[in-house]
Amino acid sequence: MQDRGRLGVLLVAPALAAVLVLFIYPLGYSLVTAFQAKGGGFTLGNFAKAFEFYSVDIGFTLVIIVVSTLLIALASVAIGGYLTLGENPLAVAVLRWLYRWPLFIPFVVAAQCMRTFLAKNGLMNNTFVSLGILDVDQTIGFLDWRGIIITFVWKQTPFVALLVAGAMASLDRSTIEAARNLGAGRLRILFEILVPQVMPTLVVGLILSFVTMMSVLSVPLMISGESPTMMTVDMAFRINNYGDYGTANALGFISYLMTATCAWFYLKRQIR
Amino acid sequence: MKRNLALLASFSLVCAALTAAPAIAQQTTLNVVTAGDQNMVDYIKDFLAPRFEKTNPKAVVKAVGTGPGDGGSQKIAEKLQAQKGNAAWDVDVAVIHQKMAGDLVREGLLAPYVRDVSTGRLVTSEASKNALGTNVQGYVIPMFQSQIAIAYNPALVKNPPKSYEELAAWAKANPRKFGYNGIKGGMSGVGFVVGWVYANTPDGDKLMKGPYDANTKANWDGALGKLKEFNRSVVITPGNAGTLDMLNRGEIAMGPVWVDMFYTWIADGKLPPNMRLQLIGPGLPGQPMYYVIPAKAANMEAAKKFVEMATSPAVQAEGIVKKFNWYPGIDAQHVKSQLDDKTWNKLFVDVTPQELASKGKVFPIKPYFDDILESYERKVLN
Amino acid sequence: MRAWIGRGIVFGLLAFIILGPLANLALWAAAEQWYFPHKLPVVYGTKFWEQVFKPRGDALVSLVTSVWIALATVAASLALAVPAGYALARLKLPWRTAILLAFLLPQAFPSLAVYINIARIFYEFRLNGTMTGVIMVHTVHGLVFAVWITAAAFAAVERDLELAARNLGASGLRTFLTVSLPLAAPGILASAIFVFLESLDEFTGTFFVGVPDVITLPLLMFTASIAGNYQIAAITALVLLVPSVVFMLIIERFLKADVLSKVGA
Repeated sequence: MQDRGRLGVLLVAPALAAVLVLFIYPLGYSLVTAFQAKGGGFTLGNFAKAFEFYSVDIGFTLVIIVVSTLLIALASVAIGGYLTLGENPLAVAVLRWLYRWPLFIPFVVAAQCMRTFLAKNGLMNNTFVSLGILDVDQTIGFLDWRGIIITFVWKQTPFVALLVAGAMASLDRSTIEAARNLGAGRLRILFEILVPQVMPTLVVGLILSFVTMMSVLSVPLMISGESPTMMTVDMAFRINNYGDYGTANALGFISYLMTATCAWFYLKRQIR
Repeated sequence: MKRNLALLASFSLVCAALTAAPAIAQQTTLNVVTAGDQNMVDYIKDFLAPRFEKTNPKAVVKAVGTGPGDGGSQKIAEKLQAQKGNAAWDVDVAVIHQKMAGDLVREGLLAPYVRDVSTGRLVTSEASKNALGTNVQGYVIPMFQSQIAIAYNPALVKNPPKSYEELAAWAKANPRKFGYNGIKGGMSGVGFVVGWVYANTPDGDKLMKGPYDANTKANWDGALGKLKEFNRSVVITPGNAGTLDMLNRGEIAMGPVWVDMFYTWIADGKLPPNMRLQLIGPGLPGQPMYYVIPAKAANMEAAKKFVEMATSPAVQAEGIVKKFNWYPGIDAQHVKSQLDDKTWNKLFVDVTPQELASKGKVFPIKPYFDDILESYERKVLN
Repeated sequence: MRAWIGRGIVFGLLAFIILGPLANLALWAAAEQWYFPHKLPVVYGTKFWEQVFKPRGDALVSLVTSVWIALATVAASLALAVPAGYALARLKLPWRTAILLAFLLPQAFPSLAVYINIARIFYEFRLNGTMTGVIMVHTVHGLVFAVWITAAAFAAVERDLELAARNLGASGLRTFLTVSLPLAAPGILASAIFVFLESLDEFTGTFFVGVPDVITLPLLMFTASIAGNYQIAAITALVLLVPSVVFMLIIERFLKADVLSKVGA
């Protein structure tokens, strides 16, 4: 038995080593450097500088990600719900085919699509103008923080919806049938029966999305011109233009805190 | 039997490889790394490389771009710094901005090659000796001189503003019709901000010539406050090309652009041909980009030949002025004689030589430059 | 009938939202000239396709670079993930929770800051700007998915089949090679495809570790877009999308619901 234990460790070791060297070590480096002054030694100066320069962006990052996550949650629950409770097989099939498209579009490509789609005279507004919904002068360009939210929601909803729909599909249909027989409307079934049961899957999907969105650089870089934008752009700017690892890592530390807080809320619910 | 065949096969392969190796080894790859927008890379790849390879058949030019603005130059500096201890470096020729050139000369990472190339005596401009306050004479030859001006659509802007003050008033009256790319997207936005500081503080000359006084930035609060206010009525575009693109699509009516990019875009059909330029007072900065050769370039001789070719009057005339609409890097008289009047004057249609002389500024010396950028981040963005 | 009008409007809107941006991409890929105030391209043409795929062009080099890196990443990831996944699914592991946590961490922390520091560390080892460096970064990024999916795939193999093989006298290794591996193959293939796609589309890590020497297709697309070359950006984006969409169709067959539900569990 001991042999098998050792064999197990041996098999896991290379992969573990890769993660340790190429992720955990740089992560530690990042955490430490955030507190290091230029000549070595402990300092909070990097954080002071980060807040001095980027407090608006830090705030906006939080807003962008929280709003995106909420919208993703709503959209994926709606999609999952319709796929599970939809009565018309054709409509369900159409939705199933339609919603998955953005799933396999990488963030860079999604950003490029949106860059010209959401512009003041981009395809979206042009379509509205052609349909007579808007005048040429009334069109608004969405190439700022709102465009970032739109792109994130567009890209991440199919992922979470996939997880949620899968979870809903594996639920016991008898509860749904029972509720229907008692005359419950579909919306009610969705929120009172389906959602509570798939909540763990939904939350996992949302947390994964939260972390992913916090790491994306291409989208804010390509869609939003400047401030307010996401912290990732500021971190890249600090590194590429100044080689300022201290401030960049301080910003990184703040992003870890944000993710950790969100995860902590999740864990707290679980432990309850 | 099978093993013998296998041995034979591998032996032949090795022989073939050995004979091929010298042939391949005879070809030198010249690594040219340039900061700046895509047009810089295109210039090297599509214009300079074929010319060089024709006169040097054993050479192949490899062009790499590191991105626009000081970030691109920073990447080149990092590459050189990382290889400091090596015997030969993998960058043979680099094209960088002024700020980084000063730093690299001070760190001893560049070769004083100018005395070894024949075109060295053709350039006597201030820009070839002084990079934002650092003496770089002997280490650099300007590739071109470039200037920022405000591009506007005369159909949408009947009376273009002539000064920063008029511009601020215009922007307030026409919200979101002016756009610039801030300080993170490229140097045209940076130049605009610098020009704003020159216009709204009395320190202009001191910022450009020195001496450096760390307390000066405290006087900028008023100017920066006004800039923050100004930003509320304008659009921040995603880069040098972003401004041009938005001008093209009618999303903004005015914005600061590099004069050369402006003319190139019109020539490429990416900008309507009716667009015009205005150099607003008291002035906007311009900058050269420099050809430099790293101190331990692997192919030093080829590198020098490359720069010599690139700074020859013929190439400067054909490539820099005619094809890419830059002001020449070497002294103008050597280049003007190689061109017909029409081509030469095309550069000066909207911005006359007199305007260029009086309102074409330089960027501030490095410590002030850094202060301006930092203050912008602190006071305007935050 | 009335229901379909309502459904039609909703689906129409949904189709516009989901497919609109993609249609936009297709339009730009087919356009030669498109400027305000025209709502659709002024001149359609393939001029930019020629420019993108010209022999001296960057796009072909980047494509080859991207594919080569992706394949190497898949090889490296599988070499690491298959043994690890098997161990996690079948063997007793000391510190099992800690190991699971270690593999979970890359998904729990925003990776941008980590990439920045990897670049700096690579700098010291002269790995910055090299293919090897980029492959290493992509491998770690893909390893997380690979380990989880492979572990789920091995866990889904019926234990009885393996026990039967052992009972017949096969050694552990032989059982693994002839029973477990073939049965888990679809799941392993799925993780290979996932890793391939993740590597092909990876932007942020390559932005810090690869530039300026290693230019992958996403970086090329990004540069073209920032420079305002929307036609080139759109064409490059389409080239990037082809493997994604093709594999999306293949992956549907392999990623069954039960494997998916074990992901992240």
